[in-house]
Order: sequence, then structure tokens, then C-alpha cells
Amino acid sequence: MGIGLIIYASTIIASRNTIYYYTTSETTNIEISKNERIKLGGFVVENSISKDAGFTIFTITDGNKDIEIVFDGFIPDLFQENMGVILDGVFEDDAFFADDMLVKHDNEYVSSDGETYNVENYSE
Amino acid sequence: MMLYGPLVVWLGLSFFGPYDVTQGIYSKLLYIHVPTVWVAYLGYTLTFVYSVLYFFTKKHKFDSLAVSNAKSGVVFTVITLLAGSYWGKQTWGTWWVWGDARLNLTAILLLVYLGYIASRQFNKDLGKTARNSSFIGIFGVIQIPILHFSVIWWRSVHQQASILSQETVASGDAPMSTDILLTLLLSVLLVTLVHVFLAKKFRNSNDILWDDYLNPKSRAKI
Repeated sequence: MGIGLIIYASTIIASRNTIYYYTTSETTNIEISKNERIKLGGFVVENSISKDAGFTIFTITDGNKDIEIVFDGFIPDLFQENMGVILDGVFEDDAFFADDMLVKHDNEYVSSDGETYNVENYSE
Repeated sequence: MMLYGPLVVWLGLSFFGPYDVTQGIYSKLLYIHVPTVWVAYLGYTLTFVYSVLYFFTKKHKFDSLAVSNAKSGVVFTVITLLAGSYWGKQTWGTWWVWGDARLNLTAILLLVYLGYIASRQFNKDLGKTARNSSFIGIFGVIQIPILHFSVIWWRSVHQQASILSQETVASGDAPMSTDILLTLLLSVLLVTLVHVFLAKKFRNSNDILWDDYLNPKSRAKI
């Protein structure tokens, strides 16, 4: 019974969440109907963050395609340039209107007096 | 004493240890989150080994060893979930991400081993109980490799492995400053010690149950 439960739960999770979010390039290849909520992930482009009428506007990229984000919602403290973010929202024309943000931190840990390593973790 | 010594040093180390400059002081949760989950894996792996040994030899010491490692593993799984959740709140901006495979699988891992502990109460006959729960102990371990590779197989929020990754193993360079790496490895050692002595406590209480079961006459003493 327990084994069955493990296999069942793993299969459900695996099939539902193979892709938790789309990268910016992938959005050109997938069919998104109007007002369909999707999750979009990418890195915040430098010097792209601005505030306008309560909205935070910035651009994210996966290295190939940039998408402008219009964000209205809770901004985690770690949100900054070059940081990976995952946004939940809808496309309206070419801009992506999001109201939910997760900051995706990488696996590098650099202390204040420690040396840094140049390990490339984002191969995709 | 042997239990509290490493525990205090570990907590002190986590409190005063170095942290990642981008993430801020909350990245010190690394020293709680990572060692506890590794030791939980260790505990469940030992539960698997001793469950197999019990299943084939029927020696009660192996059952006690399997139970004690599972109980200690559950303690550390709870700690890793709490620490990870708080860390997630501080960095990702949320306590829990329902779409993340690693988070959900860890929650299932906890439920399976809680089930293992609960299964100890299903049958009054300790011999049958030990045999039944050894099945859970044997098959539950399947989850550990799935959990380890979950961040590679399913793209999600949880960061990739820093130490036990192909890049790190191949290059010998972890993507961490040396002081953070050393503090982490020392934490792993200390938590392993805490596990050993915690499991010993659990083992003693299970040995008493076995003693009672195998020598019914001694019950009169209680």
C-alpha cells in the first residue's frame, strides 16, 4: 500500500510539474490563449527596473529573448538586477502583466571576505 | 552530554558562521537545512540496511537499529522542512511552493516515515510489527535518489546542488567561498554526531520493548 502511494504521488507530481515555469524564449513556441495564466522565468536585465504609477516595470531575459514585465504585487527583498525571477501572470500584447513573484537564487555562496568561484550553473 | 555537546557547537557555528553576501544573514540557514536533510537521508538509508538485515536474520537488535534511525531521520526531516521553509520565505518570497518537486517529495518522505513509526503500533505482537514495518523501511529508501535528482529532472524554484553536483565532483571546486564550505562540512559532521546519539536514545527505548516481548516474566517487575 505504502509503495503504491509513493509511486502514485511521484507520478502525479512528475506529470503535473515537469515544467514549473517557461523561459522567455519558450513563450514564442507555445500556444497561449488570451488571459491564460502562465509562469514565466528569467533574469532581471541590468538598468531595466523602473516604477510607474504603482507598477514596477522591468525586463527579464534568458539570454536570447527579452520580455517586458509590468508587476504589481509583493516584491521579495532579494529582487535585484541579474537575479533569477519566476513571475505568474498573463500576456497582454507583448508585455507580461504579473502579480506574483518568486526570486530564484542560484547555488553560489560567497562570503564577505571569501574568494569567489566562477562556476557557470545556468547552462540552459 | 554526548548529544548536547555537538548540538550546542552546531547551533553556535550556524549562528556565528559566515554568510552569502547576496542573500544576507538568512543564508546561514544553509548550515541547518543542508546537514539535517543529509543526515535524514543517512538515517533512512541505515533504516533500509537494518530492515533488510532484520528481514533475513530476525535478530531484534537490527529492528531496534532500524527504528531508531527512522525516528531520528524524522526529527531531522522536520527540522529541514522548517528551516527550508523559513529560508524560502526570506529569499524566494514564499513559505512553500506547491509546484516544486523537491519540496513536495520531501513532505511525502516525512509522511512515509511517520507512517513507518505509526506502523509500529498496528500489531500488539512485536515480532509481526517488526516484520511489517521492515517492508516500509526497505521500500521507503527508493525516494532518496528521486529526491536527490529532483532538482535536475524537474525545472523549478529550488536551487541546484552546490556540493553533490556533477560539476563540483568533476572539478573539485564547490561554488562556495572556502569559509562557508568549511562551516558547512563541519556542521554536517556535528549533525551526524547528534544523529548517532539521538538514535542511541531511541534504540534503548525500543530494546526495552523487545526485552519485554522476549521475556514476559520480567513484566511483573513493572
